[in-house]
Amino acid sequence: MIALACSRGDAVHGSLAGADDFGRPVPAHLAARRIVSLNPATTQLLFAMGYGRRVVGRTHWDLYPADAAAVADLGDGLNPNVEAIFSARPDLVLLYASETTRGAADRLVSAGIPTIALRTDHFADARRAAQVIARVLGDSSRWHEVTDSVDTTVARVREATAGLDRPRVFWIVWAAPLITVGRGSYFDELITTAGGRNIYGDLAAASPTVTIEDVLQRDPQVIFASPELARRIRSDSRWQLSAALRHKLVLEPDTTLVGQPSVRFGEAAVNLANLLHPGIMTVGTHRAVSAGRH
Amino acid sequence: MRSRTWLLAIAALIMVSALGIAVGPTPLSLHDVVLALMGRADAATVAIVRAIRLPRVALAALVGAALAVSGAVLQGSLRNPLAEPYLLGVSGGAAVGAVLAVSAGLGGSGVGLPLAAFAGAVGAVVLVLTIARAAGARGDPRVLLMAGVIVGAFANAVIMVALANAPVSAVRGATWWMMGSAADATWERVVWLALPVAVAGAALLTWGREIDVLALGEDAAASLGIDASRAARRVYFASAVLAAATVAAAGLIGFVGLVVPHIARAAGVRQQRPLIVAAALIGATLLVGADIVARTVARPAELPLGAITALIGVPFFLLQLRRLG
Amino acid sequence: MIAFRDVSARYPGAPGNALQGVTLVAERGAVTAVAGPNGSGKSTLVRALLRSVSLSSGLVTIEGVDVHTLSRRAVARRVAVVPQREEPAFPLLVRDYVAIGRYPHSGLWGAPTAADMRAIEAAVTRAGIEPLTGRRTDQLSGGEWQRVRIARALAQSPEDGSRPGAAAIVLDEPTTFLDVAHEMAVFELLAGLARAGAAVLLVTHQLNLVARFADHMVLLHRGSVAASGAPGDVMQASILERVYEWPLVVTRDPAVGAPTLVPLRSSAAAGTRP
Repeated sequence: MIALACSRGDAVHGSLAGADDFGRPVPAHLAARRIVSLNPATTQLLFAMGYGRRVVGRTHWDLYPADAAAVADLGDGLNPNVEAIFSARPDLVLLYASETTRGAADRLVSAGIPTIALRTDHFADARRAAQVIARVLGDSSRWHEVTDSVDTTVARVREATAGLDRPRVFWIVWAAPLITVGRGSYFDELITTAGGRNIYGDLAAASPTVTIEDVLQRDPQVIFASPELARRIRSDSRWQLSAALRHKLVLEPDTTLVGQPSVRFGEAAVNLANLLHPGIMTVGTHRAVSAGRH
Repeated sequence: MRSRTWLLAIAALIMVSALGIAVGPTPLSLHDVVLALMGRADAATVAIVRAIRLPRVALAALVGAALAVSGAVLQGSLRNPLAEPYLLGVSGGAAVGAVLAVSAGLGGSGVGLPLAAFAGAVGAVVLVLTIARAAGARGDPRVLLMAGVIVGAFANAVIMVALANAPVSAVRGATWWMMGSAADATWERVVWLALPVAVAGAALLTWGREIDVLALGEDAAASLGIDASRAARRVYFASAVLAAATVAAAGLIGFVGLVVPHIARAAGVRQQRPLIVAAALIGATLLVGADIVARTVARPAELPLGAITALIGVPFFLLQLRRLG
Repeated sequence: MIAFRDVSARYPGAPGNALQGVTLVAERGAVTAVAGPNGSGKSTLVRALLRSVSLSSGLVTIEGVDVHTLSRRAVARRVAVVPQREEPAFPLLVRDYVAIGRYPHSGLWGAPTAADMRAIEAAVTRAGIEPLTGRRTDQLSGGEWQRVRIARALAQSPEDGSRPGAAAIVLDEPTTFLDVAHEMAVFELLAGLARAGAAVLLVTHQLNLVARFADHMVLLHRGSVAASGAPGDVMQASILERVYEWPLVVTRDPAVGAPTLVPLRSSAAAGTRP
């Protein structure tokens, strides 16, 4: 499948096969002026590449950059409201490619609206998405600037954490069932980039379900959680058995940064690196302060 | 049932509970289990056994017992061998409470979700009993069943609307809850479950002979001096409390309440009081066993408990079919 | 012993009274039969005793005490009713089923006392069901089941159960679905109980057996008493034809000497075989 091939990262450069992740051909040089982007990753890219003014529709959860808030909220990206999309009169629609969006993509295409569906699960996918957008909007050179700056930041993080021990990290995504991140998820990529080791990196799935006892057995040194989840596990007597909890190493990554494998990937890596190795990245980044350390 | 069979049932429960404590990501031998329970093993093992495995086994046992008893007394008082604990609207009401709680961000081992589920369950039962009463036909089980169906249908509609508008994570959490699990077993939950189970269980044991009379029929009950509709309503309510408490603790787990009373009867227990005790023993054993299966079959992931118990339903119904034909 | 004085009762939502001013007494040491067409109020009479239907007027008494002043359990301790239909949802051992008859006499926890055991044994003997006690209720034939139910009633009434002669039993259509042999067996059992001193009130449509076994008979018609007295007095063709609305004759059976009802073919079928 194209998506899998592209998610392996380096295969990107040669494989711009001119098709999106639903197998539809990608139109080149479309002078699109009204773009609906139902994927926070592509919304961030569009703004970063200077096409912000052309965006006329976003998902409910696209809140970066700040200017995106002014764009019309068209609802859910995974279950697109086709009628709302129509009413924005777009000449290009960008979707996240998944089984739940396939139907919407079909309907948009039969209505004659150019639709591109991309699976943006890893940063390499975002890089490819930038390429596709540049090709479609007819400006093949701009995408480099965006992705290169991220790459630079990532390289600096990697360099800074190169010789250090990799703490064992458990990232809790949901409490019941207990969901974490596996190899197939961009969060796993983020942990590795930031100098940590995901204790569930051996599982291929993106969001595997695990048990609390299994987590305790793998003995994470650091637990990443959102503020509510952090509160929940701190008050659960069973989690007290975890060394991470006892050493007060339940950390809360900046949720505005770590949500999407896109333009802010570099900053997210910096944020996490500072959580794992305090003070390691102090120069040249915006959000170098760790949040909610308990 | 002969005393030898009773001893066998108790032994089975003890053994499966020991197995439940022994099984896990770090397998323990039975010897280790005993040592850990006594506190004479290394700190990590003792902690795992006491804080995680033991409460989980205790929760599964209590839930299994409560569901079995709930089903047994409902079958007797409704005179219907296919009655089960969720008949009176418990599952629908609890699911509404739980889905609303999950959508509001409460979930996992906190107290918000169980409370909401319990409240929803009890509310639904009260609604069912009220509808049945308003429909007249005092004590006719069919009216009650119908009211249960109505409330259940309404609950399903509410759940579907709530889930349609909820974010993906909430849907996943709600679905997980609805499939039943003992994964969030803490000692707190065990205690909160044990209280209503003890009270309702004691009440039902006391009313055991009454339920025997109710099982004979409305006319027979009247001739033996029982106000059948009032006596039956007490039993329904106690049964619903049991079911609601289990749902609050572990989500929706089907078939235990339906099948276990039949197993007890097949073993020769016919009168309601010993049936309640037998059902509790067998139900506890069954569910602890099912939980072991749920935790081991798809390691490191867990299967939902309700999925395992649903598999019991298949041979059971096949047997019933053979008996009819 | 069991007396209905001017009892009227109406079902909620029904246009008329199911029972209208019914007066009858079932004495000790006698079989009192209540007969009548379908819908004449026979079963309603039993329900009035059980307080399953409320009275609009009149009084039901047991040995002079108004049943409404007694708790349901107290009524159940004095009078045992064998209802028309009874099908346990789950089979019981016959022994345990008869033991349920002692329920109205038991305390809160209900552990069986020595008196309970004596009552059960006496009931089993009187009803002649010793060979059945180990069987399950779903393994009995119709006739056996009836006798077992009567045994339960005998265990229930009276208070100490050891003197079946002190029993008061009410039976609602006890011989439907029974064949000749079993029917006769039941009636003979009931007659024997009455001879021993019990009060037996029997609701039935089996007029010919009533004629032979009942000491006193009450004929109901549309909720009221159409006739009452000794069977020989009540079973007159004129009375019965009016009540049952069907042509019939009453003969005297030479074999047993009791009045015998013989229904005739309807006038529409005149000319065919009688």
